[in-house]
Amino acid sequence: MKKHLFYIAITCGLMACSEDSTLDMAGMFSPNGETVNTRFEQSMAYNDSVGEIHLNMGSDTYTIYVCSDSHITRKTHKNLDYFIDQYNAAVEPKIALHLGDLIDAQNNYPCADSVLNVGGRSINDTLFITPGNHDIYFKQWQIYRSYFKTSCYWFDTNNGSKKLDLYICLDSAEGSLGTKQMKWLKDLLEAKSKEGYRRIIVMTHTHLWKLDGSQGHTSNMALEETYEITSLLGKYHVECVWSGHQHARQSVHFKGVHYIVLNATKDEEQGQSYMTVQVGEDLTYQFHPYPSH
Amino acid sequence: MRKFLLILVLAAGVPLMAANPGFGHREYRLTVMGEYSYNNTWGHHGNLDIQALMPFNPYFEMEAKAQLSTASVYSLALQFRPKFTMPVGELFIETDVYVRAIARNQMTDYTACLGLGYRMDYVSVNLGLFTRVMSDWQRSWYTDETFVVEPFNLLYRLEVFCRPQNNPWNLSFLFSNVDDYQMERMWQPLFGIGAYVDVADHWRINLSAQCKPTGMFHLDATFYGATFRAGFTYLF
Repeated sequence: MKKHLFYIAITCGLMACSEDSTLDMAGMFSPNGETVNTRFEQSMAYNDSVGEIHLNMGSDTYTIYVCSDSHITRKTHKNLDYFIDQYNAAVEPKIALHLGDLIDAQNNYPCADSVLNVGGRSINDTLFITPGNHDIYFKQWQIYRSYFKTSCYWFDTNNGSKKLDLYICLDSAEGSLGTKQMKWLKDLLEAKSKEGYRRIIVMTHTHLWKLDGSQGHTSNMALEETYEITSLLGKYHVECVWSGHQHARQSVHFKGVHYIVLNATKDEEQGQSYMTVQVGEDLTYQFHPYPSH
Repeated sequence: MRKFLLILVLAAGVPLMAANPGFGHREYRLTVMGEYSYNNTWGHHGNLDIQALMPFNPYFEMEAKAQLSTASVYSLALQFRPKFTMPVGELFIETDVYVRAIARNQMTDYTACLGLGYRMDYVSVNLGLFTRVMSDWQRSWYTDETFVVEPFNLLYRLEVFCRPQNNPWNLSFLFSNVDDYQMERMWQPLFGIGAYVDVADHWRINLSAQCKPTGMFHLDATFYGATFRAGFTYLF
């Protein structure tokens, strides 16, 4: 028995210390670098410095490419390459969203350079991302920040003359929005819901529900936070929430809000897909399986 | 890091000490407790708890619990517990129904569990499954989906006691995803410490604390909430 425990402890230790470790055991018991409140403050400071993002789509209709949980490593990121290629090849007005867990483990950030060209990201880019737990654990928030600058922000689209849709990106990378981001979300929804947007869409990493056994390995937010967020989104008539984290697609309506959880983009997993959404007066969803590599 | 661990261990607590499954006890009990509680979502709030333990016979007991919260949340719990005395300790079946009316968010959270437990002098263990239904209060002919079902969640509870069950005082440490009024998702554990002292023939004083971190299984844990509870029990 003692021998078994010793081997388990050694294995966990080695996994935690290896160069590409995915097991940040210290993070189970203590904050892993900056907490969500600090990340929020740093994100707001950046947002204030660059100003608001208003994307002129030149049309009332456009396409959004959405993927999640690519978990890229130094060895493999074929699905994410494919997703980016599809996005780049599209000729219609478009936006791309990544719902977090871009990388898999510590020391994987340099791999993101090659697939997203994130080093040269500017405010006019149309590829947006929200952090997942894999993106910030092992105290990697500052690295994430050096690439993507902000974890919590909003942007909207217009057709050149009229506002269209509002997108709100929330940082739920540690399974909570925290006190400051929650207040910001309330204030933002209160203000923006009066501005005549066609619809409001929220994107974040952590899914709100535990609908079946497919979520065996992924954790949610605390119950109290689930109640509060779903109530808030319903109150301000948010049309849909897109999230990832659980690597299995789901769709559920509650309080008038459509919650969609995406499959992963991670290479090793079977049957994974990304989503495209035709945005017009209605939303039309399509799910595209990744090719076998 | 060390500070957080220390706070986690010291402040942790689940308050079930006041209304234990009736191992070694056969008397009816009535418990009244006041709580101070804080979490990142509801902020500072206070709760009033009333709990009754009714061991109808050596093989079956029932508990009824009610909580009123200044956070505009009202909870009821009913627990039915068939129990079987074993050569060492007690085997019991846990069948609970919780109803939590979250008036502040206009919804109700229903949970029901079925579990198996074993209790000895120094350890109590429960393992089971529960189902949750979150139901929206806003209903009309035009709303089609007003509830969400989470059909399968794992329920677990491990409590370690410092003294035997019949001792006039006790201290316990607890790791669980359920407490008297909520069944959290399996990856959202609660940590607790509880104590009681029998101060007279029929009177018991209870103290307990509970800590709820978030993001433990995101591998990025942070403090989410804590509850401190004090009250008394009348043993009939």
